[in-house]
Amino acid sequence: MRKYLILLFILVAMLISACGENEEGNGEDDATETSAEETSASGSEGAKWKPEESIEIIAPAGAGGGWDTTARMAAQVFSEEGIIDGNIGVVNMEGGGGAVAWAHVAGFEENPYKLFVSSPPIIFIPLNGQSEYGHEEFTPIANIIADYAAFAVREDAEWDSINELFEDMKEDPESITVVGTSSPGSMDHMQFVQIAKAAGVDITKIRYVSAQDGGGLTQLLNGSVDVYSTGVAETVEQVRAGNIKVLGVTSEERLEGDVLEDFPTVKEQGIDETFVNWRGFFGPPNMSPDALAYYEAKFKELSDSDAFAEIRSQFGWDELYMNSEEYSQFLDEQKESLGALMDELGLGN
Amino acid sequence: MLKTLNQKVSLVLFAIALLYLIYAYQIPSFPYTVVDADVIPKVLGYLLLILSVFLFFIKDEESEEQKARRNIPKKEVGMLLGVGGLIILYIIFLEILGFVFVTALFIFLCSRFLGYKNYLANVLVSIILPVSLYLMFTQLLRISLPSGILPF
Amino acid sequence: MGSLEGIITGFQTALSVEAIFFVLIGVFVGTIIGMLPGLGPISAIAVMIPMTFGMEPSIALIMIAGVYYGAIFGGSTSSILLNAPGVSGTVATAFDGYPMAQQGKAGKALAIAAIASFVGGTVSVILLMLLAPALSSVAISFGPPAYFALMVLGLTAIASLSEGSTTKALISAVAGFMVVTIGIDAQTGTQRFTFGSINLLDGIDFLVIALGLFAIAEVCTLVLNRKDTSLKKFHNIGSLRLSKKDFKEMSGPMSRQSLLGFLIGVLPGAGATIASFIAYISEKRIAKKPEEFGKGSVKGLTAPETANNAATSGAFVPLLSLGIPGSGTTAVMLGAFLVMGVQPGPMLMTERPEIFWGVIASMYIGNIFLLILNLPLIPYFAKVLKIPRPMLISLVIVFSMIGVYAVSFNTFDLYMLLLFGAIGFIMRLFSFPAPPFILAFILGGMMEQSFRQSLTISNGDLMIFITNPISCALLIISLLSFVFPLIGVVRKKKGN
Repeated sequence: MRKYLILLFILVAMLISACGENEEGNGEDDATETSAEETSASGSEGAKWKPEESIEIIAPAGAGGGWDTTARMAAQVFSEEGIIDGNIGVVNMEGGGGAVAWAHVAGFEENPYKLFVSSPPIIFIPLNGQSEYGHEEFTPIANIIADYAAFAVREDAEWDSINELFEDMKEDPESITVVGTSSPGSMDHMQFVQIAKAAGVDITKIRYVSAQDGGGLTQLLNGSVDVYSTGVAETVEQVRAGNIKVLGVTSEERLEGDVLEDFPTVKEQGIDETFVNWRGFFGPPNMSPDALAYYEAKFKELSDSDAFAEIRSQFGWDELYMNSEEYSQFLDEQKESLGALMDELGLGN
Repeated sequence: MLKTLNQKVSLVLFAIALLYLIYAYQIPSFPYTVVDADVIPKVLGYLLLILSVFLFFIKDEESEEQKARRNIPKKEVGMLLGVGGLIILYIIFLEILGFVFVTALFIFLCSRFLGYKNYLANVLVSIILPVSLYLMFTQLLRISLPSGILPF
Repeated sequence: MGSLEGIITGFQTALSVEAIFFVLIGVFVGTIIGMLPGLGPISAIAVMIPMTFGMEPSIALIMIAGVYYGAIFGGSTSSILLNAPGVSGTVATAFDGYPMAQQGKAGKALAIAAIASFVGGTVSVILLMLLAPALSSVAISFGPPAYFALMVLGLTAIASLSEGSTTKALISAVAGFMVVTIGIDAQTGTQRFTFGSINLLDGIDFLVIALGLFAIAEVCTLVLNRKDTSLKKFHNIGSLRLSKKDFKEMSGPMSRQSLLGFLIGVLPGAGATIASFIAYISEKRIAKKPEEFGKGSVKGLTAPETANNAATSGAFVPLLSLGIPGSGTTAVMLGAFLVMGVQPGPMLMTERPEIFWGVIASMYIGNIFLLILNLPLIPYFAKVLKIPRPMLISLVIVFSMIGVYAVSFNTFDLYMLLLFGAIGFIMRLFSFPAPPFILAFILGGMMEQSFRQSLTISNGDLMIFITNPISCALLIISLLSFVFPLIGVVRKKKGN
């Protein structure tokens, strides 16, 4: 008797849900039809595309990180300054260093309501073979900000310039350990490798340790490792306290700001190389040109607003706006040069 | 040959350890590290192999109560599988039908299935709880749950 | 500005009407969110950040800190009542808390947890206030070899977590360690056991394992026993009153684990979860009646509850005085500071004393509020157990699923939850204990990483574990703690 009951329940559940699925399916069809009509209508009337549903910005990581902060701050300025009316929500989707979120967005082809924020990992992770989706699959909307790498050593370290460090690394690369947060082949590792290569260090001999949960700074301070490859902002407080010194930052010119302006660039020390930790927004594959034009304009407005300028200075970010076309081209170049570097290391897939 | 339960369990564990080791040997090697990614997994695999051999030979040290746990009537196995089936249905339809609908259905069906006969209470809980949880998550905590077929 | 002046400024900030009001809000929201299975401090803090816009930074951060320790405080409730840990730091709380509830002493268990949390929280705030500046050097004193040795010390406890067969406990532990090797390896970036699935790249979330092995496996047992009248006692809540004997039993673990938990919390990366496990194990080691542990021991409940709250305050040392977030949760806290335009780090204490000391001072008040809020509510929380069994089972399943889903928003993790529920149930059937599994899962990952970091740094020279004084000392303690019980066993056998 009970067995039949189970079967019955499951059957009922399936039936109900199957109906629901149909409805859902129909609903989606309707939605695409209407939006298709609208696009054609707007095309004929010459009116621009406008969002009619709430927009979702995905931060492909947990709360609190750089992607999350960028997405939340952008959404906040969009609503508070009235740049975009209507709802904008930020959703965290953690996993695979972004790969989970990218796979998710890739499934929403042409949907103009699913944006996500990204940075160099969208180049590194596909190159490492950890995501089948790279920037080529998506619609780059605009780049918004730039951040730079810094290479720090303890205050009492023997090196006073990046060249002294690299000279030692050329002589005996195995005696120096570099620490970063990400795994080899990702950002903290590759930004160091890129600069070291330009300086003529044998990059296949660099010893790199990955340490999570704030371990990088800890290991630098307690002397376990020699060099900390990280973002500029992470070093400021320790430099002010006199615990560490920054041998070089990877920006084109010196940064502005209280302590930041004292950091020498690697470029001024004679190494002709830069590394930008850019951050921008993407849409799903094949976003319609009208929707793209709409977002491009809105992100430009965001980037130019005073409110966002204040946020940039608060978090120590640099302004770096690129429109969709410039951005796509920039991403392609990045992928090519970083891909070559990874091939040389034998990390590329 | 397989007299004791431990011996049967140990064979299963031995097989798991072998399978794990086969995959551990397929981990690609990485040129720039002293201890590569496959070292610890290999150690663990062999450790489990050795432990499963140990288990094969040791005598049972189980108390009566621990043994009694395994006496599950056939009917009850059906109940467990039934609950498991309901959970799988819940997961499949969660993102399709939405949180409120699926949760309400699940609470009602699962409670009924397990022999809860107070229909009124069951219906009330099945409706009030998912709705209030949904409102709390989406409105107060701003954590979005799948809305599914609901319009909001 | 001297420390004393700073402390006074801190109390001035913390005792303002505004600060007191927002501490109350913070700890209240924190406890409520912490009680929901699966929602821990990370979600609680992330939820509160947008609400702080426009607030005075010191007040906002006092509130956010309240949310943080409030969530740890509240996390014990679902562990004790439902065997469903809401926060990773309260898994060990379930070991003795849930058996106690099953014996009809849910009220007492919740009261013990609340008092232990309060003591752990308050003692550690005193330590934090007195030692924060000095302890920042302790926080960074642990290099990779020392972390490795600490994890080894934790793992020597596996045998003491067995329910009879040591071999089975070891098998559980190896299995737990195997599960943690799934995902991208941080040292090399290679994928291990991911079978090409992007959902496995980050490995399996701790919460999935904890809720699966404990809550879902318990659901299976409840399904089988749903008509068992001998479990009627479970419906009793029992008295909240603690006897003098209870207090006497609690005093030892509370005093020891406040200190130990705090110190472990200070180490970046260790945190409340590891602190609670080490507390549980160490109390079991030194207890006169270790056989009571796991069956509703007062000490076994007091120890992890004291330690996880103490560790939470401890985690503020590297966060405030170094700007180093030692865990996912403190990373979100750091984010909250940055949003407020406050940069935690070595300069915070001198440049923004009202924030540095204000947050610390407010924690005394927050802990008092937590106790006042929680104690009277216990009878209401415990009413959960009066829910008819079939309904309770459905609700535990639903809450576990929401908890997991609200972390990853991915149904894949829900299937994993079901899988680990099944594994947990099968382990119960064949008397493989779950605690060693989860212990190895927590410690294993960090142990492997620090082992390999150490050897990369030393170019493969194993001597690094001996030449590093902290690591050497910890390894000797591990060895002794392994050898001493053996000597005890040999003596007993000779005596017999």
